[in-house]
Amino acid sequence: MHELGVVIKVVKTVEDFAKKNGVKKIDTLVLQIGELSSMIPRYIEACYPAAVDGTLMQDTKLKIEILPGNGRCNNCYKVFNLIKSHSQCPNCSSDEWELLSGKEFLIKEIIAC
Amino acid sequence: MDTFKVLEIKESVFEDNNLQANLLRDELKRDKTFLLNLMSSPGSGKTTTVLKTIEELKSDMRIGVLEADIDSDVDAHKVAETGAKVIQLHTGGMCHLDADMTKQGLVGLGIEDVDFAILENVGNLVCPAEFDTGASKNAMILSVPEGDDKPLKYPLMFSIVDVLLINKIDAIDYFDFDLEAVKNRVKKLNPNIRIIPISARTGEGIDEWADWVRSEVKNWNEK
Repeated sequence: MHELGVVIKVVKTVEDFAKKNGVKKIDTLVLQIGELSSMIPRYIEACYPAAVDGTLMQDTKLKIEILPGNGRCNNCYKVFNLIKSHSQCPNCSSDEWELLSGKEFLIKEIIAC
Repeated sequence: MDTFKVLEIKESVFEDNNLQANLLRDELKRDKTFLLNLMSSPGSGKTTTVLKTIEELKSDMRIGVLEADIDSDVDAHKVAETGAKVIQLHTGGMCHLDADMTKQGLVGLGIEDVDFAILENVGNLVCPAEFDTGASKNAMILSVPEGDDKPLKYPLMFSIVDVLLINKIDAIDYFDFDLEAVKNRVKKLNPNIRIIPISARTGEGIDEWADWVRSEVKNWNEK
């Protein structure tokens, strides 16, 4: 249940960025969310309209890009998707791995008009 | 037709909180206040542990407590009876505290006469682990009735804390709780963690816990 608080923060950050860069209107906001982050894209989309209501971003579209939750096996160095392989190397079955990506929650860019 | 321009921001959303947390830690260091962020599930005995900790340490240092809950002030009342300084924070539905809320709480409490501040975070093993509060150290309580599989279910929480208290150890004979299995599971996630079995009810292990706090407070306020 922490998506709304976080999305309000995102809107504030983007508004500050827009003001600093003289952007008057934002067509699209692009977020990048890792598969292993605690943010659920469906909930972010659901609370987005409430977070932008009455702000500069009221009519801004939201686009979410998903980043894969990948790890690299410490034993055979194979790179694999942690979710699909249930955190176990599909090549050698080792469960010792190093996290490469998937925890991100980034404001990637805005498309201004 | 409008011309569109793409502006890269590339900013981590948690970056702002991490920044605030680091600023708060610097302030705490300057003010010589050691802040402990105490996390656990609801019902693990957080408040009872806080009360026992105050009793054990109140002659050594000045203690302040921030009680964070979604609602009610029952915990703050219990702590106030010990004579320690206390403030109740209502998160209003939010499942965790961030650095900004923690700072507001500390301002409300007033830390100029506090050596050791305890932040009793919202009872939750998920969200509080994601947000740096700006605390000097992080601790969590796992109680015996919750089961020995919790480190498998909530790995992030167990991997970010400096110390793990295993509470209600006096009840271990009544539950299928494998203490060694917990220790192995936790050490795999977090090799440097300190694990202390305690009973906030009987006082078992509280001396070891109090010694940990004493030495951490001393380190924090000296450096």
